Amino acid sequence: MSTTEYASAVAAVKTLESSLLTRSDMDQLINTPTLSELKTLLNSKTHGETLTDVWEMLSGYAPDCEALKILLYKNDFHNLKAVLKAMLSGRDPAHYYISPSNVSLEAIKNAYTSKSPDGLPAYMRIPADEAYELATRTLDGQLSDSLIDTAAIAAMQKSADDCGNEFIIKYAQLTTVCADIKTAYRCSIMHKSNQFLETAICGSRELDKASLIRAALSGRDGFLNYLSNTPYAEAAELLKNSPAQFEKWCDDIITEHAETARMQAFGAEPLAAYYIAKEAELKNIRIISICRECGTDRETITERMRRLYV
Amino acid sequence: MNSLGIALAIIGAACASLFAGIGSAKGVGLVGEAAAGVVSVDPNKFSKVLILQLLPGTQGLYGLLTAILMLSRIGIIGGSPADLSTAQGLMFLGASLPIAIVGLFSGIAQGRAAAAGVGIVAKKPDHSGKGIIMAAMVETYAILALLVSILLIYNISI
Repeated sequence: MSTTEYASAVAAVKTLESSLLTRSDMDQLINTPTLSELKTLLNSKTHGETLTDVWEMLSGYAPDCEALKILLYKNDFHNLKAVLKAMLSGRDPAHYYISPSNVSLEAIKNAYTSKSPDGLPAYMRIPADEAYELATRTLDGQLSDSLIDTAAIAAMQKSADDCGNEFIIKYAQLTTVCADIKTAYRCSIMHKSNQFLETAICGSRELDKASLIRAALSGRDGFLNYLSNTPYAEAAELLKNSPAQFEKWCDDIITEHAETARMQAFGAEPLAAYYIAKEAELKNIRIISICRECGTDRETITERMRRLYV
Repeated sequence: MNSLGIALAIIGAACASLFAGIGSAKGVGLVGEAAAGVVSVDPNKFSKVLILQLLPGTQGLYGLLTAILMLSRIGIIGGSPADLSTAQGLMFLGASLPIAIVGLFSGIAQGRAAAAGVGIVAKKPDHSGKGIIMAAMVETYAILALLVSILLIYNISI
């Protein structure tokens, strides 16, 4: 599809970008004297907009959402995990389903109740089958979760390569790297087995699977040492000091990548960037709301604030 | 009467209006799409984006002007077509090419520049003039092509 097909959508998104919350808006929210004032201010600034609203709006403007669907893969696979576990434990999956998602709750439920994943998108069929088989056979929720997480990353990489869009490929690459570092680090602390790591680590061109597994098996210090000698040394430094700061770094590099689309006048990239920007904004709002409710001090809240697109 | 000569000249006039018109239509259409995106979110920006949408429309007018001048020169508009040789017909056809080709490509290019300028109106309305200037730069080459086409049309001896 020609990039100029997105001319209308990009222009609309650029208009909407001026309504994204800025750093001073966030500071204002952090410094509201009371919780009720925070809620009032939040309502006046965001009008209760959710990511589902943003996705529906983008879908309405974009002539073709295929390239953007990858942004929802993490929700799709989260829903797959949640529905599988909810159904196996006899709970209502609707409570755990998050939107926006490319796959409806009904489609996932039907796939499991009918034991036929045909109603699911191609990238979810095999993982859905395998996770179900693994969960029912081993009753190990963590193992089936890690299988689905790895499948999510693999599906993202494949879709990104198939669509050939540089922005999306880089997005998939950064998401993979962050997920792999996170998993390998946790596994190194918990002394997980080679077999578990084989299922849980996806690997990428930047951090290959075999090296990551070897490093994770060598323990926390060995893993951090390995990471220090890769282009992601910054992540190693952050993990040493504060895993919370590492989580922030993971979100920030995605937003930083989204900023590369700010100057583009055409194409699907500015739309994807807007969605990522809105995701970061809503995450910041959630951090502020939760931290304020828990009585966290303002300096800590400011430290946890994710990078903003504007 | 050599009908091939006059036919070639008419084809020239048609090319001038046809290709320059296509360039303008594509350019104006593209900016229109971008403008509609902005107006759907903020209708107050209509007047600013309208100026940008008008810019790629000029190539079509230049093509029309060239075609009228050519048809007038060869007597078609007056009702008494000139007796043109094949060489003269080819000269008129050649005279139409600068505005036909440059009009086609500059219309599309100007449309892209103006659609990008719509992004400036969307995010920084106070700087919309810069978007207009940048898109208007493309106009230079359409004007140069028009000038060449007109000079050629008036300097072909009949």
